[in-house]
Amino acid sequence: MKKLMALVLALTMGLSLVACGGKPASEPASAPADASEASEASEPAGQPAAGGTDIAFVTDVGNIDDNSFNQFTYEGVTKFCKDNNLNANYFRPAEDTDEARLKAMSQAIEDGAKTVVMAGFLFAPTLRQAQEKWPDVQFLALDVASFDMMDKDADGKPTSDPIIKDNTALITYKEEQSGYLAGYAAVADGYKDLGFLGGMAVPAVVRFGQGFVQGADAAAKDLGIDDVNIKYWYSGSFGPTDEIKAKMDGWYAGGTEAVFVCGGGIYISAVDAATANDGKIIGVDVDQSSFSEQVITSATKGLAESVQLALTDCMNNGWKWSDTYKAKETTLGAAENSVSLPMATSQFTTFDEAKYNELYKGLADGTIAVDNNSAADAQFATEKVKVSYEA
Amino acid sequence: MGEYVIEMLNITKEFPGIKANDNVTLQLKKGEVHALLGENGAGKSTLMSVLFGLYQAEQGVIKKDGVEVKIKNPNDANALHIGMVHQHFKLVEVFSVLENIILGVEPGKAGIVQKAAARKKVLELSEKYGLQVDPDAKVENISVGMQQRVEILKMLYRDNEILIFDEPTAVLTPQEIDELMEIMRNFTKEGKSILFITHKLNEIMAVADRCTVLRKGKCIGTVNIADTTKEELSRMMVGRDVEFAVEKKSAQPGDTVLKVRDMVVPSKVHANNAVKGVSLDVHAGEIVCVAGIEGNGQTEFVYGLTGLEKITGGSVELCGRDITHAAIRERSKLGMSHIPEDRHKHGLVLDYTLAENMVLQRYWQPEFQKHGFIKKDAVQKYAEKLIAEYDVRSGQGPVTIARSMSGGNQQKAIVAREIDMDPNLLVAVQPTRGMDVGAIENIHKQIVAERDKGKAVLLISLELDEVMNLSDRILVMYEGEIVGELDPKKTTIQELGLYMAGAKRKAKEAAANE
Amino acid sequence: MNKKKSILENQAVNSFLASLISIAAGLVFGVVLLLILKPEAAMGGVKAMLGAGFSKLDNFAEVLYQAAPLMLCGLSVGFAFKTGLFNIGASGQYTMGAFFALFCALQLQLPWWVCLIASMIGGAFWGLFPGLFKALFNVNEVITSIMFNWIGMYLVNLCFANLPKTLASHNDRTANLTEANPSAVIPKAGLDKLFHSNYMSISIFIAIGIAVLMYVVLQKTTFGYELKACGMNRSASQYAGINAKRNIVLSMVISGALAGIGGGLYFLAGAGQYVLVKALLTRGFDGIPVALLANSHPLGTILSSFFISYLSVGGNAMQPNFSTETINIIIAVIIYLAAFSLLMKNMLAGVARRKKEKQKEAGK
Repeated sequence: MKKLMALVLALTMGLSLVACGGKPASEPASAPADASEASEASEPAGQPAAGGTDIAFVTDVGNIDDNSFNQFTYEGVTKFCKDNNLNANYFRPAEDTDEARLKAMSQAIEDGAKTVVMAGFLFAPTLRQAQEKWPDVQFLALDVASFDMMDKDADGKPTSDPIIKDNTALITYKEEQSGYLAGYAAVADGYKDLGFLGGMAVPAVVRFGQGFVQGADAAAKDLGIDDVNIKYWYSGSFGPTDEIKAKMDGWYAGGTEAVFVCGGGIYISAVDAATANDGKIIGVDVDQSSFSEQVITSATKGLAESVQLALTDCMNNGWKWSDTYKAKETTLGAAENSVSLPMATSQFTTFDEAKYNELYKGLADGTIAVDNNSAADAQFATEKVKVSYEA
Repeated sequence: MGEYVIEMLNITKEFPGIKANDNVTLQLKKGEVHALLGENGAGKSTLMSVLFGLYQAEQGVIKKDGVEVKIKNPNDANALHIGMVHQHFKLVEVFSVLENIILGVEPGKAGIVQKAAARKKVLELSEKYGLQVDPDAKVENISVGMQQRVEILKMLYRDNEILIFDEPTAVLTPQEIDELMEIMRNFTKEGKSILFITHKLNEIMAVADRCTVLRKGKCIGTVNIADTTKEELSRMMVGRDVEFAVEKKSAQPGDTVLKVRDMVVPSKVHANNAVKGVSLDVHAGEIVCVAGIEGNGQTEFVYGLTGLEKITGGSVELCGRDITHAAIRERSKLGMSHIPEDRHKHGLVLDYTLAENMVLQRYWQPEFQKHGFIKKDAVQKYAEKLIAEYDVRSGQGPVTIARSMSGGNQQKAIVAREIDMDPNLLVAVQPTRGMDVGAIENIHKQIVAERDKGKAVLLISLELDEVMNLSDRILVMYEGEIVGELDPKKTTIQELGLYMAGAKRKAKEAAANE
Repeated sequence: MNKKKSILENQAVNSFLASLISIAAGLVFGVVLLLILKPEAAMGGVKAMLGAGFSKLDNFAEVLYQAAPLMLCGLSVGFAFKTGLFNIGASGQYTMGAFFALFCALQLQLPWWVCLIASMIGGAFWGLFPGLFKALFNVNEVITSIMFNWIGMYLVNLCFANLPKTLASHNDRTANLTEANPSAVIPKAGLDKLFHSNYMSISIFIAIGIAVLMYVVLQKTTFGYELKACGMNRSASQYAGINAKRNIVLSMVISGALAGIGGGLYFLAGAGQYVLVKALLTRGFDGIPVALLANSHPLGTILSSFFISYLSVGGNAMQPNFSTETINIIIAVIIYLAAFSLLMKNMLAGVARRKKEKQKEAGK
């Protein structure tokens, strides 16, 4: 009995330690490798990796290899640093709290970082403290909206103007345009039963979803068809769950051909279901075609590009934000070439590059206007497409 | 020196706080049964463990056939054809008898066990020495006596010439003991030599050729059994004269202390009741003994009596109070104390210190606690007192962990604790189990003293000598019933044996003493 | 000479020394790993890992902040273990404690000490079930408590999801306590100013106080005596008239209460927000190595939780030269080796014996 107990104990201990680690240690070397190369170039020989950080990236919850926000934003940072002979490093907070994110920033700044890049709306409370605590450090936050920087009352209603300091630049995206492109393309390519799976009804996700609906509706109008259906559901979580997989299994089995999957790790559940049912997936944020053969296209944001653009602006302005970015939310869309479908990796049959360029031009010059209502209960009134919102 | 197969010369082995063997010499002749006699903790097992390679001696040499050898582990011992039957068997319970015997020396080709050859050899051996066992039975399903045969066959299968038996009779019934003696004699006829560890003088007198006596780690001497007596051996072992017969006045029974009527206790192993309507009385100032062969319901009877098991019928009264359904603590408050049959299971918390164990029944009394806090000093003092009074020997006194004490001293501690509770009724189940004659004598004296103080004593024992010597009244239990009441002064061991075996029984009414 | 012998033979000193040696062995192994992984940064990494916790006040504050809930989880596992039960359900009890605390704080807007008591009740409540199952039906507590981890986590997620007042708007986590109900945040008593860190509050003192209390209960009271007796030998405690079933339930309830307070301390510190992900909170499991390292001794748990917390803060300071995954591996290796203290203890006893023998020989 005693031996058994010891064995169980040893096993659980092992397990719990694995659990501490969170994710398996996959590729700690790949991303930072660039960084150390860059540092070797800029530092005198014999003192590699001791040079500290010029530009730091702080992850939100996940790690640098999340195949999503963290990874692509950081790619932008490393590329910029390599081009400019700077030292990039990333820092992962000890736990999922504002305090830990602030601590990671402080660690980065102590390591010499003059510019700190972050991605995700979770950073809003941290950023509000950081911009005042370190006035000499420049902060670049992707996907943090000025709304997130307001004081709020208990019901979530804003009670102040956004508080954004001169050393802070916010970048958000016109997700509705990206969603619009995806919706239009799907219908134009002949898909009639579509689905939208959102994580939670946060503004960015809502804009993606509503843009998707509008794009599909526009395509249906152009093609003169009225038998396009969209199932529309927010799962209530950004992580993969069995519940999501079951729901997606139901959709695919019930005739849904392609689902636009929008939000964090939920794509894992959706891809599982799609693979099992030979359904199609439309990816989000970044080009997700490499995840699965089922991904026909992705409604992307130009994370890496916009980071490089903004950092270049900052550098050229003597490591201060220029008026283009300073103390405000900059919303990038088709006009700035910051939303797109990756046509090279998309699996379209009838929707072609020419049509895509035509749409893109329309979005860029404003001839195609996409409603950007981001309320949690937003439901765009469609003309041709039937949308069934599921709870 | 070709006379000796094994010589252990001037062996010294120390443990923290104790010299287990101090300059001990033991010489074993070929073809003899050599007994190793000593009190609990005298160093017998240590000496054998040195021979078997479980311990390394600090000093001294071991010679096999006159040649000095080093025995670093049991494998070395096996290579020298030394085998050992341990007190606690080392068998794989879910394996068959055959599998256990060949474990570790499996004959095989290309990793596949060739059982047929092994079976043939095992059957030959068991035929030759009269060790009948079913080679295909699972060890967990056979009796303790059979398991011991398996251990013996293990040694024979490995062609061992020197066989060590570590207290082999402790777990056996009288009949099985006789059989074992016969088997030992067969071995010596075949030229094998036997080392026989025991503290039972009768067995030594019956089977051994010579005997080496140890006392407190020191070698007292080696004698020829033919030239000695039980009394001399016990004097060598204990260091003083030992009285085998307990001296006691005739009993003066007083009021009825315990009254059991028609007690029924279900069995845990079969569907029938283990205790089938037992009725008995115990009076103040008498020792009533429940005798019987193991497994006839005594254990369950005691469980039902002390509250460890719920009884399904009948009633129990202690000093006029009905305690049929009383909690154990309540029984203890009413003056029932209990020396349990299994000291490791019930008697002690082995990982507690001796002092903590000494107050196991009393820690809640105001003497030892205040507002829920244990009075450490009081516990310590109390333990010291009991240790001194009852001669409980241990490495570090009250702070010794009970697990590290020898079995006999563990038992002494329990007896001390239970008797010192000053009970109205002392339920003593095999109180001298695994103890040497000196300690047995002591405990017997204490039990008689309790009786003379007017306490009621209910003794449950398997040892016929103990039953005859100690009790004022004998009740014989057979298959869950009291089948006879005997007066030890007017009966013989033979008659008692007949009752115990179920060959004779009195009318039920007589037993109830009503 | 004699003094040294007696020190090595002293049980407590021996245990402590054994733990220290094991830890040292673990650290050496960790350094070797670092050298293999990234030799040029290894020394810096070691310095960061060992030095960071004490290097700055705010780092030390973080060590204390993490140590408090960890200590409670360690106490929970250790207490159960002392009483013969293996409470692997600390995670569920911790989660339940967190829920009770946050429910009182966010939904009912109660002050912190009420919330903390609520967390204790929540954990105790969740420890009750495995205890009852064990006592009444003899169902192995390992199995029930594992299942109750999951039941608890899903139940808590379900409850939070249906209590919109407790959630942050547009987010899958509970509201920020410092904004939603500042009175529920464990008071900082000026320590945050002293340590220049928001992490610092009186929770570490609460945790140490509870550890001392558990020590007293286990070592000095008849209640502890009964509980331990039950744990070591159920039959013997029954024989001694101790109500073993009652004690099993009580053990699990107390163990659960401790883990529950752990959850309360963590989430009432103000920084943590409960995230509604469908995964077990790992801190409950982290209690196992904490208890193991401390040999289940309540006072040892104080030290071992400090140690593990110190390591994780130090490990974090090894960024950016080492990735968090590498750091986690190294911390895990150190803790794992440190848990070999029992082995080390036996070896130490052997050393003591041999020394003594040598002295004897020299004396002859």
